[in-house]
Amino acid sequence: MTLFFQQVLNGLISGAVYALFALGFTLIFGVQKVLNLAHAGVFMAGAFIGYYLVSIGLPFWLAAIFAMLGAGLVSVLVDLLALRQLRTRRNAEFAAIVATIGVDFVLISIAQILSKTQVYRFPFDTFPAVFFTFGGLRISLLQIVIVVTVVTLVLAMMYYLKWTTYGRQVRAVASNDRAAKLLGINPNLIYTQTFFIAGALAGMAGVLIGLSFNSIHFMMGQPYMLYAFVIVVLGGLGSVPGALAAGLIIGVIRTLGIAYFPAGMADIVIFLLLFVILLVKPSGLAGSAAVNAGGRR
Amino acid sequence: MMELISRYGATFDLFLIAAGFAYSQQIVLRAGVFSIATAGFASLGAYAVAILLTRYQVSPWAGLAVATMVGTIAGLLLSIPLARLRGVYQAIATLAFVEIIVSLMYFADGITNGAAGIHSIPKVVGTPHLIVALCVVLYLFHAIGRTGMGRAFDVIRQDETVGLTLGVSVTRYQALAFVLSGALGAAYGGLLSLNTYSVDPGQFGFEFVVAALAAVVLGGPRNMWGPVIGAAVLSVLPELARPLAEYRPMLHGVLLVVIITFLPHGIADSIAAARQNHRVRRDLEKLAPPVPASVSAGGAK
Repeated sequence: MTLFFQQVLNGLISGAVYALFALGFTLIFGVQKVLNLAHAGVFMAGAFIGYYLVSIGLPFWLAAIFAMLGAGLVSVLVDLLALRQLRTRRNAEFAAIVATIGVDFVLISIAQILSKTQVYRFPFDTFPAVFFTFGGLRISLLQIVIVVTVVTLVLAMMYYLKWTTYGRQVRAVASNDRAAKLLGINPNLIYTQTFFIAGALAGMAGVLIGLSFNSIHFMMGQPYMLYAFVIVVLGGLGSVPGALAAGLIIGVIRTLGIAYFPAGMADIVIFLLLFVILLVKPSGLAGSAAVNAGGRR
Repeated sequence: MMELISRYGATFDLFLIAAGFAYSQQIVLRAGVFSIATAGFASLGAYAVAILLTRYQVSPWAGLAVATMVGTIAGLLLSIPLARLRGVYQAIATLAFVEIIVSLMYFADGITNGAAGIHSIPKVVGTPHLIVALCVVLYLFHAIGRTGMGRAFDVIRQDETVGLTLGVSVTRYQALAFVLSGALGAAYGGLLSLNTYSVDPGQFGFEFVVAALAAVVLGGPRNMWGPVIGAAVLSVLPELARPLAEYRPMLHGVLLVVIITFLPHGIADSIAAARQNHRVRRDLEKLAPPVPASVSAGGAK
C-alpha cells in the first residue's frame, strides 16, 4: 500500500510539471483562440538554454531563471514570426495550427543541429541528491523544489491575471479584443505578454523535466505536447484552474499506468482517455465551452 | 528523361509516394475537416502490408488490398467521434490518433517487431507502378471535383450552415472525406513499404505529419493539382541546392510558416484563382464593353 501512495505522490509531482507546461498552452488558447503547437519547441528551448548555462558554470537556480526568460523570448518570437500576420485574417484557426507546427519544426531542427542529435545530461553535481522520508514515503529535495517552484509560479500567474491592471487587460482582450481596443488597450502588447508568460512557464517546466529525468534532447517536447492536449481538453480549453487540476490527474494516471501496466501501455491509455473525453464531454471539467483566459472563478 | 529517372530514381519514387500522402491529407482539408491523421493511416497500411508479406507470405497485391481495407475501416471508425468535433478539437483528436498508432506500433512488439521495425519486405513496387497509382488518384480527384461530391465538400468547407440549408449532410460528407483519406493514406503506406524494403514506427510520427501538411499547404488545399505541385517542389528543392538537403526538415518548417502567411491558398489554388479572375473580367467586358469616358460623364442615356 505504501508503494501505491508513493506512486501517487510521484504522480502528483510530475503532474505539477505537466500542469506548468499546459498552463501556458491553455493561456494562449484562452487569450488568442490559437492552438500554439510550437509550445513544445519553446519547452525544449528552455531545457536547452538551462543546460548550456549550467554547462558554462552558472549555478543551477540562476540558469533556471535565465532559461525561463530565454524561453519567454523564444515564445514571443513564435508569436511575432508565425502568428502576428495571421491575426488580421478571418478564420485563421487552421492557418495558425499550420504556422505553429512549422515553427515548432524549425525549433526542433535547430536543436537537432546544435546538439548533433545527442542526448544531453546535466552534470552529476548540478543538484544535490538528498532524500527525506515522511511516514514511509520518500521524497527527494529535487521533488520538493519542483513543487515549491510550480506552486510559486502558478500563484504568481493567478495573482497577475486576477489582481493587476495588466491581468485585467489580458482578460479584456481575451473576452473581446475589439472592445478592448476601443478602451485603449493595445492587443498586440497583450499577446506579446501572454506569449512571454506562457513561454517562461514552459521554459521552467523544460528545465525541471530535463533535470528530473536527466535527459535533454531535441524531441523532448513532443510527448509533453500530447499530454498537454489531454490536460487542456480534460480541464477545458482555455481554463487555467481546469488545466491545473487536470495536470495533477494526468500525472497520477500516468505514473500509476507505468507502475502497473506493461511498458508503453500508459501512453496509449492516456491518449485513449483523450478520445473518451472528447466524445463524452468535449468542454472538459471546467464546464462550458466558452472559456476565457482568467478561467472561471 | 529515362536517364534522369534512373539517376534520381529513388527521389522520384519518394516524390510519387509523397504526392499520394498529400492527396490523403488534402481530401479532408477540402471537406473542411481539420484532420492530420494521414500519418496514422499510412502507418496502419504500411504495417498491414509488411506483416502480411513477411509473416504470412500473402501476395503483395492482396496485401495492398487488405491495407486499403484497413485504412477504410480506420477512417470510418475515426469519423464517428470526429463528426461531433470541430476546429481545433479535430486537430487535437487526429494528432492523438497519430500518436496512439505510433505508440501501438512500438508497444505491440510481438506483431510489429517494436522499435526495430520490419525489414526485408520484397521490393515489388517500382516507378511505373507508382506512376500508374498517381494517375488513378488524379483521375479520382478529377472525378470528385466534377461531381456533386466536390461541390458538397467545397460548400461545407466554406460555410457549414450554408451547406446544411442546401441539404448537404455535413456529417455524411465529412465521414466520406475521412474514409477516402484513410483508404488513400493506407494504400500509399502499403506502397511505401513495398517500395522501400522496411518500415519502422518512428517513420510515421511528427515529421511525417509536417511533410504531408507542408505539401498540401504549399501546393494548395483545394485544387486537384495542389498536392502534386507541393510534393514536387518539396522533393526538388533539396536536390537543386545540395546544402539545403541537410536542413530539409527545417526547410519544411520555414516553408509552412511563410506559405501560410503570405500565400495562404498555396501555389495551385492561387494560380487557379488568378485565372478565374481573369476569365470573369474578360467575360464581363464581353457582356458590357467598357463605356467611353465622355459618355459616362454625360450621365443618363
